[in-house]
Amino acid sequence: MLDSVLRVQALTVERDGRPAVEDVSFSLPAESDTALVGPNGAGKSTLVAALLGLVPRRTGQVELLGHRLGSDGQLPRAVRCQIAYLPQTLALQGRFPLSVAEFVGFGFDPPGPAWPWRGAASRRQAVGLALVRTGCQELGGRLLSELSGGQLKRVLLAFCVVRPRRLLVLDEAQAGLDVQATEQFQQLLLELRRQEGWTVLQVSHDLDMVRRSCDQVLCLNRRLRCSGSPDHALRPERLQELYGPNVVAYHHRHHHHPHGVGDARG
Amino acid sequence: MGWATPVVEASCLPAVLATPFMQRALLGGLLTGGLGGLLGSFAVLRQLSFFSDALGHSALLGITLGILLGIDPTLVLIPFAVVFALLVNQLVQRSQLPTDALLNIIYSSSLAGAVLALSLVDSYQGGIQQLLFGDILGISWADLAVIGSLLLVALTYLLLSLRAQVLLTLHADLAGAAGVRTGWHRLAFIVLLAVVVAVSVKAVGVLLISAFVVIPACAGRLLSRRFPVYLLVSSLLGGACALLGLLASGLTNLPSGPSVVIVQFAGFLLALLFSQARNQLGSAS
Repeated sequence: MLDSVLRVQALTVERDGRPAVEDVSFSLPAESDTALVGPNGAGKSTLVAALLGLVPRRTGQVELLGHRLGSDGQLPRAVRCQIAYLPQTLALQGRFPLSVAEFVGFGFDPPGPAWPWRGAASRRQAVGLALVRTGCQELGGRLLSELSGGQLKRVLLAFCVVRPRRLLVLDEAQAGLDVQATEQFQQLLLELRRQEGWTVLQVSHDLDMVRRSCDQVLCLNRRLRCSGSPDHALRPERLQELYGPNVVAYHHRHHHHPHGVGDARG
Repeated sequence: MGWATPVVEASCLPAVLATPFMQRALLGGLLTGGLGGLLGSFAVLRQLSFFSDALGHSALLGITLGILLGIDPTLVLIPFAVVFALLVNQLVQRSQLPTDALLNIIYSSSLAGAVLALSLVDSYQGGIQQLLFGDILGISWADLAVIGSLLLVALTYLLLSLRAQVLLTLHADLAGAAGVRTGWHRLAFIVLLAVVVAVSVKAVGVLLISAFVVIPACAGRLLSRRFPVYLLVSSLLGGACALLGLLASGLTNLPSGPSVVIVQFAGFLLALLFSQARNQLGSAS
């Protein structure tokens, strides 16, 4: 088994001609749950996009599951199948004639050209299991565009868990979930890590959740400002350095655990 | 000025169906309508409806340039439409303007350029009316072979890449992370749409081509709850509306292209009524 599922070395990514992420290096130990935190516009989503090969990088290396990410974002299909990405939401405009079960089924199919009816029986079985596992068994026949924000999040998670993976990347996946759904979500992530050896990287603004659930934190504000265990990385002086003095004042007035400020895209 | 009264004679139907040009037109309508419905299924979900309109208008410019250069317009049209689509795609991706405004600028300018260029042509034997509204009755067996082959290519490509197409339509980053070559598929679809518009414009006309792409797909979107059903319904509606419209046109001597579009519109209204009634029944139960 690999020690590190993801290795990043001196990564710099530009957006609109300016560095959005600069000289970032870190690695994700296998079966760890790592949080990527930082203020709005810190480059968190850009970093995630670069790790997945969705945006070009200016310099640096990314190694996923022992395979180097190509300069054009290419990875072997077998590696792609083992990585799942859960975006903040889907921008569905109007009626979208796709059922939840069909959508989750696309998460099961490997990349590359294939007739849609190929492997239908095993796909159907995997979709049924994924829907049960994420508490979406009632939603299979519903249209994707008919779901509430919280239901859509659970369905996106079903899309990720419909086949065995090694790395799950979440971009503010738990924003918009109610307390019970957040708890179930975290429970499932824990189960996936402990029982199936998944590694999780999640962009989050919920520092309480990060402190409770994650075992590594990466603090990003264009550059990697600090990293380590939540107790180390989320100390008030570190947060002040990352977010500015207001967050720490808020923490002292309202909580014993600090809260960040949610945003749409970091 | 008197009004011409359309004459409907049901007894003429066998005679209409017996004429070779009408048989070719019906087959052409079925294939073009089905092709428009199939590609339209993705075009309307990706909000490319206006893009097909811009392509249709640019086709007029391509035809006119062919006439001016003394080259057969049908030979110029496909490469012109593909290059035009690629340029517009680049412009839309690089410009910071809203896509609908940008496409409006492009199709108005294309139309103006084409009309100016046409004014330099002494006479065009095809006639401006045919360019604008098409001449499906003049469709040849060679045209039918091209449209049929294109339908086969489009169907094969879209079915083989169905997962990629749907994920790309839903969320480009989700698709990219799932191993979809997003840039390649986006470009391939736009090129396919451009070729379909260029090939269909002779039969349907530059002003009505976007109706063939948009209306059956919108009706299909209202009626379907599963993606393969949506593709099938949109394609069948496209083909069926074209057949009915052409038959109505043959029986009444009304122009063929507009007759088809009116039938498509009636089909869309029926789909709208049906979906609203279904929603009301669903919320009542």
